[in-house]
Amino acid sequence: MSELSELHRDALGELFNLGVGRAAHSLSQMVRDEIELSAPFVDLIHAHEVTATLIGSEFKELSMVTIDFEGPFVSKAILLFPERNALAILSNMLDPELTPEEVAEFEQEAMCEIGNVILNACMSALADEFGIQLHGGLPEHYFSDTDSLPIFAEGDADRLVLLLQIRLTMRQQLVEGHLIFLLSVGSLQDLRDCLDAYLDRIGMR
Amino acid sequence: MDIALGAQLIDSLRIGLILLDHRGQVVSWNGWMKRHSGLTLADVAGRRLEELFPEVSGSRLESSISDTLRFKLSAMLAPSLNPSLLPLYHRPGDRQRDQRMQQLIYVSPLRHEHCACLIQIHDMTAALRRERRLRAQSNQLIETSYQDALTGVGNRRRFDQDLAQRFRQAKDKKRPIAMLMIDVDSFKAYNDHFGHQGGDACLIRVAQTLRDVLRRDGDRVSRYGGEEFALLLSDADLTAACAVAERLRLAVEQLALPHPAARSIGRVSVSIGIAAMIPTDEQLCYILVAQADLALYTAKDAGRNRCMWYDAESGIARPLPDSALAGLHSK
Repeated sequence: MSELSELHRDALGELFNLGVGRAAHSLSQMVRDEIELSAPFVDLIHAHEVTATLIGSEFKELSMVTIDFEGPFVSKAILLFPERNALAILSNMLDPELTPEEVAEFEQEAMCEIGNVILNACMSALADEFGIQLHGGLPEHYFSDTDSLPIFAEGDADRLVLLLQIRLTMRQQLVEGHLIFLLSVGSLQDLRDCLDAYLDRIGMR
Repeated sequence: MDIALGAQLIDSLRIGLILLDHRGQVVSWNGWMKRHSGLTLADVAGRRLEELFPEVSGSRLESSISDTLRFKLSAMLAPSLNPSLLPLYHRPGDRQRDQRMQQLIYVSPLRHEHCACLIQIHDMTAALRRERRLRAQSNQLIETSYQDALTGVGNRRRFDQDLAQRFRQAKDKKRPIAMLMIDVDSFKAYNDHFGHQGGDACLIRVAQTLRDVLRRDGDRVSRYGGEEFALLLSDADLTAACAVAERLRLAVEQLALPHPAARSIGRVSVSIGIAAMIPTDEQLCYILVAQADLALYTAKDAGRNRCMWYDAESGIARPLPDSALAGLHSK
């Protein structure tokens, strides 16, 4: 985390925590069950380390949603759900009459929307607090495994990626799982500038 | 592109197109929208969607539009999570039947001085109907491929899948799971005496009996192989599993199918091995099968037509205690 100061890191954790709170609220409404999303654990890693970080975790088979954002800093936000969790979450959101096979059929589009809700909530919290506009594209969904995370192979392997680990809990259904939010930022300097302006504004710097 | 052509193009599109200004008021409403909503641009211009359609208030669509206007974010709304959100109808007749179109909706920001938000609506009705039909067909095929052709109960594939799934659930929820391994006694002798067709008929009757007894509980019996049947009981401890086993054994005995080659009772009977556990993280599902199997073979050695349970503490199989049988035999 040498590229971001302790203060920057705390500020990001704080901001994403806000966004995650919004996401939890929207998701709870969609599922009609209380969804808790934990405060994210923020880390900064190199793109080529992403796969290594995920291997050995539960993230072998992935359901993945990506959205591109443009604004003062260009970024690609990626949400990873372990496949098993994704299906458990979905089966609670969709018609309870559906069999697991049927849930799997709806997975693509429904995961797309759920990812959309979480990513937008987080990014809008950033935009809100930074006082900037982030032009967000439409979500795309991929199935993948840790061996073939193609998105990170694109371009520069030394590119820095913001990694957020979030724990998701569904109250009544006792579903628990992790999700990982990866934010690949085009220019770290631009993100730092936004953070500095934010910290100045709230009188923390 | 000139404006007239642009307008024609938009009206010819096979998707719904709505443009909103920076205040979220409708500025454009294409021909598709007019056809499927019954409202013209004149009806809707300058109004917000939630004024036009009260169901939009508090919906994902409303919050998506506000995110687009405020933060320039895009959103997609899947038909499975937002069923038939807007009062749009595939055919005019559907309106009377209140059968709304299934909709896939995209909301995205625009960079323009008058237009801030683009809403695209796709009619997914036909696609979803096709999907449902295919699903019904594939369900039927799946059902067949999981059925034992002779007896109509589940086959080995069914059992293996149930085992993996239910064992995992028991592990996750830290709840007990039990298994019964059921074997028709002296079946080879029965076959030798009545021929294979007679043997088949016997298996059908036994399978039917097992199924009838279990029907009340919704549990599923599968043919494990030859004359062996297997049954999984979720959330059942040893006591509960022993009671089910004894009920099944009695039901087969009471069928009173003659079995001249069976030395002991002269009719068809079954032996049942029972195992139950709350699986630990390290345990694999096959251990349950092995335990039930061991109990079954002990029951065979002990003289058949009986149930025995696997005692994990001692690693040997034991006969059912009288307390487990109380009440069953009097019925």
